[in-house]
Amino acid sequence: MKIVIGEGSCGIAAGAGKVHSALESALGGTQGVDLGLTGCIGMCFLEPIVELRDGETLVRRLVRVSEKDADVIAAAAVSGDLSMLDRLCIQPEDEEFLDKQTRIALRHCGIIDPTGIDEYIACGGYEALKKALLNMTQDQVIEVIKTSGLSGRGGAGFPTWFKWNATRQSPGKKYLICNADEGDPGAFMDRALIESDPHNLIEGMLIAAYAIGSSEAFVYVRAEYPLAIVRLEEAISQAKSRGLLGENILGTDFSCDITIKAGAGAFVCGEETALIESLEGKRGMPRLKPPFPAQKGYKNMPTNINNVETFANVPWIILNGGEAFAAMGNQKSKGTKVFALTGKIKRGGLVEVPMGKTLRDVIFEIGGGMIGKSAFKAVQLGGPSGGCIPADLIDTVIDYSAISATGAIMGSGGMVVLDETTCMVGVARFFLEFTTNESCGKCVHCRIGTKRMKEILERIVKGEGKEGDIELLEELCLAIKDGSLCGLGQSAPNPVLTTIKYFRNEYEEHIRSKHCPAKQCRNLLRYVIDPEVCTGCTACARHCPTSCISGRLKQPHSIDSDKCIRCGMCVSRCKFGAISAE
Amino acid sequence: MDTINLTVNGISLSGHEGETILQTAQRAGIEIPTLCNDESVEHYGGCGLCVVELEGTAKLLRACSTLVSDGMVVHTDSPRIRQSRKIALELLMSDHEGDCRGPCTLKCPAGTDCMGYVQAIGRGDCREAVRIIKDTLPMPATIGRICPHPCEEACRRRLVEEPISIARLKSYAADVVLRSPDPWKPTVSPPSGKTVGIIGGGPAGLSAAYYLALKGHKVTIADAMPQMGGMLRYGIPGYRLPKQILDREISDIAELGVEFINNYRIGKDETFAGFRARYDAVIIAIGAWTGTRIDCAGQELRGVFGGIDFLREVNLGHRPDIGERVAVVGGGNTAMDACRTAIRLGAEDVRVIYRRTRSEMPAQDEEINEAAEEGVKFEFLSAPEEIIGRNGAVSSLRIRKMELGEPDAGGRRAPRPIPGATEELDVDSVILALGQTTNVSGFEDIVLSRKGTIAADEHTFSTNMVGVFAIGDATNGGADIAVAACGEGHRAAGVIDAWLRGIDLPYRKPYVSEREVTAKMYSDKEVIPRASMAKRDPGERRHDFRQIELGLTTEQAEREGRRCLNCGCHDYEQCRLIRYANTMRIEPERIKGDKHPGYTERKLEAIERDQGKCILCGLCMRVCEEVAGEGILGLVGRGFSTVIKPEFNDPRAIAVCRDCLKCVKACPTGALRAL
Repeated sequence: MKIVIGEGSCGIAAGAGKVHSALESALGGTQGVDLGLTGCIGMCFLEPIVELRDGETLVRRLVRVSEKDADVIAAAAVSGDLSMLDRLCIQPEDEEFLDKQTRIALRHCGIIDPTGIDEYIACGGYEALKKALLNMTQDQVIEVIKTSGLSGRGGAGFPTWFKWNATRQSPGKKYLICNADEGDPGAFMDRALIESDPHNLIEGMLIAAYAIGSSEAFVYVRAEYPLAIVRLEEAISQAKSRGLLGENILGTDFSCDITIKAGAGAFVCGEETALIESLEGKRGMPRLKPPFPAQKGYKNMPTNINNVETFANVPWIILNGGEAFAAMGNQKSKGTKVFALTGKIKRGGLVEVPMGKTLRDVIFEIGGGMIGKSAFKAVQLGGPSGGCIPADLIDTVIDYSAISATGAIMGSGGMVVLDETTCMVGVARFFLEFTTNESCGKCVHCRIGTKRMKEILERIVKGEGKEGDIELLEELCLAIKDGSLCGLGQSAPNPVLTTIKYFRNEYEEHIRSKHCPAKQCRNLLRYVIDPEVCTGCTACARHCPTSCISGRLKQPHSIDSDKCIRCGMCVSRCKFGAISAE
Repeated sequence: MDTINLTVNGISLSGHEGETILQTAQRAGIEIPTLCNDESVEHYGGCGLCVVELEGTAKLLRACSTLVSDGMVVHTDSPRIRQSRKIALELLMSDHEGDCRGPCTLKCPAGTDCMGYVQAIGRGDCREAVRIIKDTLPMPATIGRICPHPCEEACRRRLVEEPISIARLKSYAADVVLRSPDPWKPTVSPPSGKTVGIIGGGPAGLSAAYYLALKGHKVTIADAMPQMGGMLRYGIPGYRLPKQILDREISDIAELGVEFINNYRIGKDETFAGFRARYDAVIIAIGAWTGTRIDCAGQELRGVFGGIDFLREVNLGHRPDIGERVAVVGGGNTAMDACRTAIRLGAEDVRVIYRRTRSEMPAQDEEINEAAEEGVKFEFLSAPEEIIGRNGAVSSLRIRKMELGEPDAGGRRAPRPIPGATEELDVDSVILALGQTTNVSGFEDIVLSRKGTIAADEHTFSTNMVGVFAIGDATNGGADIAVAACGEGHRAAGVIDAWLRGIDLPYRKPYVSEREVTAKMYSDKEVIPRASMAKRDPGERRHDFRQIELGLTTEQAEREGRRCLNCGCHDYEQCRLIRYANTMRIEPERIKGDKHPGYTERKLEAIERDQGKCILCGLCMRVCEEVAGEGILGLVGRGFSTVIKPEFNDPRAIAVCRDCLKCVKACPTGALRAL
């Protein structure tokens, strides 16, 4: 029997580390029961997760485990009486979350131990590298990738083979970069991929390096991912010790080294040219394209940059063939896509599905629908560069062109589910605040334009919106798209454009009626006490910081709206649900 | 080198391999605006002004960084391009914290560069001061003496202690230069072969004549009075403006070849059509010479004078019979001129009748004080009700006592009569100084405004007749004060000069950036009181028409000049940002919002950085690195708060600065300045 704990950052944040220690001491070196760890299993909503395995067979998956459960888990594992674990076992319907996925990039995540190389090798790791180095030419590798239809998973969806080939064809020393500067709020696919399966990334990168003829590769990973960096560092040294990385890999002429570069936290460094600048030790600011990195990238040399998830697909494609990958997906987009499903969703976590599935499949089939009573309103895709897709487009197919047609973008895979309690103007404001702070400062349109948009959105949510504000926003949106050099600026208006496109009435209600339909904009709220429900317990009045609630004991109370600062304290103190915002 | 053929705006051009669209277009004389590009450094592409359209490409491209290639079809001007550039400039200006021009200049109706000449005087350079003034105002000695100086109302030195004595500095410098053996003379363009006829030789007409003559046009001024000067001569008493000063400045205008015809009145000596036929362009600048009448019985009596008529008579050298007791009705500057003139004619009891109180009087404080010093008495909250006569001559004036009501929409408290409260003053004459209107007889074909003045377009100064322009007090709402009339004359000269050359160039008030300031911002300034000018003793001066002000001493004037707070931008004339902002007619107010953090940095020995004016084009930083080879500067911070500072915000970086000033030269705005 083996006890395996899911120890990605997410699991650790939920307490997996403590569970691990508690289990360690509960087992106290008991023979016959091993304790191990794995990466992110992907079910964030059930963390911490502990699995009981017999060999490779999963015997029990225990969820929302706390350190207090360690003794009973240890006892069950030792005794073999698993019935005592029933209360911790995952509900059958929650298993759907994993069962309905198709995992290629995530295929080892939550299964193998990411801290060692052996489990990776045991499940076929580095076989693809062997196949490529020993049996394939560089052109053949690129050809397989071309056949697979793999495209850039960082968001843009550019054909991967094309970039590889362009880099390979450009004269001069070649560089390979893995973009692991995952910065979209709500996105954590790349982090999980590195933390849970670092060798897969290394293998994918090595195959790419071989294909383009590069001997020097970098992983540009954000410093906010310390665990990913540690696991990748360990994996690199393990791979080196096995002759899988470094000089004369697998005894061939091919040599390649991978260096980790931790980013300093600038969102724009996820943009490939800004990333290269940062890698060169300069301030992360986008370069003008052309020349493209494949022509002049790192140190002005041909450079291929791919995202973590893109590389993560490569070993599978090499082993299983391009056709097998292309068989998944639809006409326009091939293979699978990983999403970080979050928000007002019942089952949030990492989801990998074939292209061509619908948003409904992900949100309702896999995600299980909404977490509360409030209805599904929209889904935000692509973070600050993306947009909100409304409920009536829930059957939109997941492929690059169909998603783009809605005004959102596929993006790197952040998928935030919003319900009726979400103010769409507030969502737009949130993302604009993000871009206002993250613009590199170079382009006037982006640097000042996003600030002006944020200010307009701020006044709308404060109830100070004016007629003409929506049109002014639209004008600024188009100007910023037109006038910005890089993807950050060009896509920064998307959250505003899509919310105006699909929720214009919500903007208008804020501006004209000074009313927030989602009841989220504090300045537009009015708290009222329902006299039928109020018992006159005085709890609200006692806790009101401005003493704006009056009423006698056991008599219905009332709120003086002029004095009310809309802190919501009364609502949280009322035990009878008598207070509501309108 | 290979030649590349491309089309820009429909013109076939050849470019060189490796050249950008911007370079090729510029060589062909096609201007593409840019703020962040400089040939000495690598392209940057930040400002976004140089965007162009390339056929076959959906995105706008930056001309500064897009290389030319064979067969390219480029457009550098289209509605989409203009919109993108306009928004870029609006965004930049919405984030710009600075004063393009000093508030003095902005308030001056003639737009005189007050800051420029005040500081020149501060440096002891009166000749330069006069040169600066005469860019917009041809008669500084005259205007400096009589101007109600709106500039001084706006002067921010007021936030420290008192405004700078801008007007008197102007006449001081002009006097110094007039007295010098070799007074400053403007440069006159070669003859244009065009003629301009101006009707009216007052400040508006003289000013227009001066600037049109400088442009090489042959100018003739015809005037109804015996001498030129208009109201400057016949409205303003000699104790404020000595006639010889006016004569001297008018003769300077005549010296430019301007011909004067006097005692000539349209409608009497010649028809307007006859006059018009002789010139390529005609300017009507006839002023407002008819006193306004009021609703008051007895105005036909002997001893009742219109204020402006009275002043004209005296200025013509006559001595109207006003007796010993004089009532002057009105509270404006004409009323002050009239009452003080009456004193000088020997009247013993001169009373000003004004229906509001002292604080509402439109006349300048200084004038009121001086009148009081000379013995003028004031009857406030009093309105004339009837002028009572005996034997056809004035014997007394019945006044009605008033009180002030609630403030009206404009904030002014309207006077209203107190029922039954009247008073009778025994007087020998009544001077009604209640404003003037224009007399348009002789100009019957000219379309008038609703007010009965000549209707002239505010941008082109043109009337309903082709080639006939109108300026000054006779038009629209009226120019109001002499310096405003001069300003109109100057601006009209620019428009008419262009028109004579076949160009439509309407005058538009330039867009400028202005800062909001508070007294706190100046709390570190040393208090230096305003220069007070010596005046003749009231007891002495009330007997004659000699000038009462004795002028500023050199020491006073130079010290006064050095009080200037230097509010405007040193770079206004060269600033590319404001030039583009004006050519693109931007409206930044619609997107106004917070501004990026501003601070002034003077850690460098010879360079001052005003962050509020920085547009983050990065030229200083890039020139420092790529041209000067230092790399002292860098972008610090992110997003909207990004600023250019010593690299990594480390002040020690500055230590290696050699003050080469290359950054200052590269700065397209006034953010950097050599000290």
